[in-house]
Amino acid sequence: MASSTGLSLKFSPLSTSFKQNKVLLRGICNVNSVSLPSRGMRLGSLRLRVSCAAKPETVDKVCSIVRKQLALPKDSPVTGESKFSALGADSLDTVEIVMGLEEEFGISVEEESAQHILTVQDAADLIEKLVEQKSA
Amino acid sequence: MAAAPTRIDVLQLYRSLMRVARQFCDYNIREYTKRRTIDAFRDNKILTNCSQLSAAFSDGKAQLEVAKRRALVYSLYAPKVKSIMDIKPS
Repeated sequence: MASSTGLSLKFSPLSTSFKQNKVLLRGICNVNSVSLPSRGMRLGSLRLRVSCAAKPETVDKVCSIVRKQLALPKDSPVTGESKFSALGADSLDTVEIVMGLEEEFGISVEEESAQHILTVQDAADLIEKLVEQKSA
Repeated sequence: MAAAPTRIDVLQLYRSLMRVARQFCDYNIREYTKRRTIDAFRDNKILTNCSQLSAAFSDGKAQLEVAKRRALVYSLYAPKVKSIMDIKPS
């Protein structure tokens, strides 16, 4: 159901008439709003989750650990997109942060994966993946 | 003398030392190992001389071996009473 509405959405911009566009879109929007909440909890959310980022709680925990490690003040901007190097962390700090995250979440990060962690979001995504693997 | 250690080697040594530190049962030794590695690596961060770098790196590797042996032996004779710092407030 969700995939068919996706396909029909792609076809609508091809039609030249503006009024037709509006009618088509409205019709499709109605179908979307009905179908996604009922089935989207399983199909839609599963499909979205693959590309979606980590949970906000995980990102918050990562941010608090980063703040504690780098001794940043509480109101400094640390978001998912902040790079560790931009926050004033050198490579030694990054290793310490990854150690802290390992202890906090009870996971074990590989050497190669740890070297590719550059932003808070990378760390949160890796944590989510490892926690899933551990519980699976 | 071996060639100068690469950045990746140094970071791997750092990570291994921190991991070994976690294996100690005694709170004091664990914290000391962590503190000592952090201090030593930060002090030597500014080294640029090749021979000094390799000397520091081999020193670190020797310390890692010592720490691994000690962690193993300490775990065989772990005290039953844990340090107060390890007990989380209930």
